[in-house]
Amino acid sequence: MATIQTADKAGTWVGIGRETLVKWAPLLVLIVLCGFFAAIEPRFLSTRNFARILIAASPALMVATGVTFVIIMGSIDLSMEGTVSVCAVSFAFCFLWLGGTLASWAWLALPFAMLVGAALGFVNGLIHVKLKIPSFMASLAMGFVGTGLAMVMTGGDRIRIEDELFRSLLTERVLGFPLMVYVAGVFLLIAWFIQTRTTLGRNFYAVGGGEDLAIASGLNVSRVRVLGYTVAGVFFAVGALLAVGRIGIAETATGNDFMFLSVTAVVVGGTALWGGIGGVWNTLVGVLIVFVIGNGMVVIGLPGYVQDGVLGILVILAVILSTDRKSISFVK
Amino acid sequence: MSIENLKPYFPWITLAVLVLLVGALNPSFLNPASLVQLVADIVPLFIMALGMTFAIYIGGIDLSMQQVANLVTVVATVYLVQYGIFVAFLCIGAGFVIGAASGWITTRQFVPSFVATLAMGFIALSGARFLSGERALSMNADARDASFGWMFGNTVGIPHELVIAGLLLALAWFLQSRTTFGRALKAVGSGELAAVASGLKVDQIKILAFALSGTFAAIAGLMFSVKLSGGDANLANGFLILAIVAVLVGGTPLTGGVGGVINTLVGTLIVVVIRSAMVYLEVDATMQQMIFGVILIVAIAMTIDRSKMRIVK
Amino acid sequence: MYQLNKVDKKFPGVHALKAVDFKIGRGEIVGLVGENGAGKSTLMKVIYGAYQPDSGTVTIDGKAVRFQNPRQAMDHGIGMVFQEQSLITNLTVMENIFLGFEQQFVRFGVINWTAMAKAARHQLRKVKLDIDPSTVTSKLSFAQRQLVELAKVLTLEERIDGDLVILLDEPTSVLAKEEVELLFSLVRELTSRASFIFVSHRMDEVLELSDRIYVMKDGEVVDVVEHGQANIDAIQHKMVGREVDKQYYREQKQHPYDSGKTLVRFDRVSVAGKYRDVSFDLHPGEVLCLVGTEGSGREAVLRTIFGLERPSTGAVAIKGNPFHRATAQEAVARGVGYVPRERKVEGIVNGMNVYENMTLSQMGKYASHGVLRIREEKALAENWIKRLSIKTPDVYKDCGGLSGGNQQKVVLAKWRSGGSDIFLLDHPTRGLDIGAKEDVYDMIREMCDDGAGIVLVADTLEEAIGLSHTILVLKDGEIQKRFDGSPGGKPSPFDLVHHMI
Repeated sequence: MATIQTADKAGTWVGIGRETLVKWAPLLVLIVLCGFFAAIEPRFLSTRNFARILIAASPALMVATGVTFVIIMGSIDLSMEGTVSVCAVSFAFCFLWLGGTLASWAWLALPFAMLVGAALGFVNGLIHVKLKIPSFMASLAMGFVGTGLAMVMTGGDRIRIEDELFRSLLTERVLGFPLMVYVAGVFLLIAWFIQTRTTLGRNFYAVGGGEDLAIASGLNVSRVRVLGYTVAGVFFAVGALLAVGRIGIAETATGNDFMFLSVTAVVVGGTALWGGIGGVWNTLVGVLIVFVIGNGMVVIGLPGYVQDGVLGILVILAVILSTDRKSISFVK
Repeated sequence: MSIENLKPYFPWITLAVLVLLVGALNPSFLNPASLVQLVADIVPLFIMALGMTFAIYIGGIDLSMQQVANLVTVVATVYLVQYGIFVAFLCIGAGFVIGAASGWITTRQFVPSFVATLAMGFIALSGARFLSGERALSMNADARDASFGWMFGNTVGIPHELVIAGLLLALAWFLQSRTTFGRALKAVGSGELAAVASGLKVDQIKILAFALSGTFAAIAGLMFSVKLSGGDANLANGFLILAIVAVLVGGTPLTGGVGGVINTLVGTLIVVVIRSAMVYLEVDATMQQMIFGVILIVAIAMTIDRSKMRIVK
Repeated sequence: MYQLNKVDKKFPGVHALKAVDFKIGRGEIVGLVGENGAGKSTLMKVIYGAYQPDSGTVTIDGKAVRFQNPRQAMDHGIGMVFQEQSLITNLTVMENIFLGFEQQFVRFGVINWTAMAKAARHQLRKVKLDIDPSTVTSKLSFAQRQLVELAKVLTLEERIDGDLVILLDEPTSVLAKEEVELLFSLVRELTSRASFIFVSHRMDEVLELSDRIYVMKDGEVVDVVEHGQANIDAIQHKMVGREVDKQYYREQKQHPYDSGKTLVRFDRVSVAGKYRDVSFDLHPGEVLCLVGTEGSGREAVLRTIFGLERPSTGAVAIKGNPFHRATAQEAVARGVGYVPRERKVEGIVNGMNVYENMTLSQMGKYASHGVLRIREEKALAENWIKRLSIKTPDVYKDCGGLSGGNQQKVVLAKWRSGGSDIFLLDHPTRGLDIGAKEDVYDMIREMCDDGAGIVLVADTLEEAIGLSHTILVLKDGEIQKRFDGSPGGKPSPFDLVHHMI
């Protein structure tokens, strides 16, 4: 999973052309996919269908955005399934305990859930950095702890959230799209802001681009790492809130399937697993690619069992297209 | 003996401490018959972890193993009556081909193995769902007993599953430490560029490593299918992460080149002891997952050898 | 102003610094020279805070200080310009300049990019570099990166009150001659703001630039030479501890090669983007040296012979047979052995032991049906350990833990024991101490006597001249000139440089 990059010394105009192509490849793939599905089934292009795609994609987009920061640092975070479940469940308990409607003090449950996400991410980062356990293992184990914690809290039960105000995330539509899509959009902008305008965001790139060099420049890399996991935790929490808003249920299974889905989306969007390259817009494109493929196959009426396979093939193709093969000597 | 020299034995020490600890709290855990049964029950997991070792040993990962095993349970169930015991070749062949395809995509197309194998897994899942007609199938009991009944007997108190596991472990160990292929794997895992500069066929070796992990996944799937007497596109779910955990806890790091199949044996045993200990110690079912995670962090913190890691990512 | 008194540093098995005294005054340029392993890099690491001395004191303006990490050294005005690639290439120039010190541009948590760009432009002006600070660093040339490094260190000027001490570690190794001169005039100008410690293996440059030169050998400062009294031979004598003469390169052992046979023939070979129209013959017993600057195509020629690059036009023949569908495996099978420059990455496998490394390229010979005969491997390794006097406790020692010279011997043993007779040596003595270098030179002569042909890319011009029978000077991918290097008739470094640049 690590890649050795070789410096491309022949940085001529040919290189720039290829670079540009590779940079925009994920977006091209997305456009081609949309065009393809639209050509076969024009209904694919309807607002109603797009709304469906975006509703399904919003929680995953938040989770993927969170893990993007970690991947930019060259690490990985696989704790999202556990963190999402714990955040969803703690939100639900807190929400119901404080009155069960957003119109009361129960709105405090929203920031509370995000705090829980931040705390879990913080612990995750600490375990990784202080115990010097590679992030893959540390976060995987933290994922178990999270899922387990959610199980302990719920005892395996489902918690229903029936507050209409909260459910308006899904039911209230503006210009054909439900509120949760706009919420996801706002948080995506926040993520973009963190990425481009804050020291922390830029430091993620520094750590991913060359950790030993960053240390030599006096950067406190451990701190950046822990904060990176904390920020990721907050976005996982937002993903959890949207997931609960979408189906109205919080349970241990709320976090299921987010792990591979989000990492796949990040990679398909063109963010490199070895760090330093990519960003939140790449992740948006990646998430859309994955969900457009899923939705498009249903819309054009492919049988269910084919969909997984086609998704697999398309994911491979998308990554191949957006890899700058000349600049890497091998991939693991 | 200094701490430095003890490092390779940390996984063993962790295992011994765990067993003694659980034994002290509940002596019935140490009953030999139940220990043997305990170990026999996890043979499919162990085989999958063995295969995973090859992928991780060269610095990659194989996330398609679970789906390959799923596919194989379906293939075995569907074609058992038709081909009898030869269905095993079909299954193993399928695993080999899918693994090799993952390897080819990783090495020749520069798709990180994390994504390549995950995607190949989806393709295998598609195959499994198609072939099973999205239903849980059961095996023809007569054909099963005739062809694969030998898998689950007992000889002088030793379950045959354990014998199979032992043979596969011996084979994997032999491959890893006594053959040119194993040596090449080590070279690729610890210094891929040096392996290239020594004229090794690095691409071929990597593809073969993934093919091997696919093959072991297929063997695990076959055993699973025979044991549960059926096939289903979801039968082996939950095994992937455990297999990865087993390899990592055993001390084969994701960076490759260190550790090996013996480590995986220890790792699998550690995982199993933790899991079953919770049953023996009557830990509340809802608490088990969380405690498993915590103990895992402690176990990994104790077992991994950090001396070769310059930067921990 | 800045002073080290009796500084001592020990590592397991090595006494790296022995009671070193060192001082630098305001506005001075101090040169630091020594062979590899003399303790230069340890001394530098102590100075910029990466290592802490075991004993002795560090004082600034008479006050004792102790740095736990480079950051604390920076806070006392000590900055380091690293040899190469210490900029993070995926960041912009300004981000690199202010990495770790962005806080000054942050208002309410937001980075003010305009302010940072303005400040960065100010820093870049100090080093006379006119580039857009928002350029991504990977797009810069090596010379530009070097200047950005310097600009980055000069930010200390605004950040702290006291005097600055700036370490320049081999700053010229990747620069062309004009760029070196530009850098030197810049450094001289900057002495009004900072003192410099200049580390280089190019003796002429050290002599030209420095006010005072510290000569190190075996962890000690063996001499301090004032500017004006310095002369290259004397310093080299001190560094090496004896005359550097013809003996050094084993010229007395250089025998004429066998021009009747050809091992490698290049006939107007080109590799797109790397080199054009290169022709030469390599004969048994010949050392053929490729000389040129970085990027002149010399490494690409080596890689072509080893099958890692495919010629776009022209023909390569190895031992009379055409080498068409070239792969590294094919090259190894035909007797080519490659000793790469990046010894630790490409030469040995760090994590494999001595015998595993030695048989890596020839496992087939020590295996039947794919099963290794490990006993024979060990016997082979023990034999070569004795033959090349490789210092290792046993054959089970991890090669990553051997010293550089012994690692190189393992690499050479790998190819020699495998029966290779065409050797491609890329900087075979890089990073080795004198003794180990001499061992390598001896081995090169020995291999020639055995009838092997050697294509060499040397570490220094002196080395190239001393070792070779034939010298090809490359510039921008084309052969400029062919020199004959027979003993007695060898060209001077000046002759070569003339055609290189």
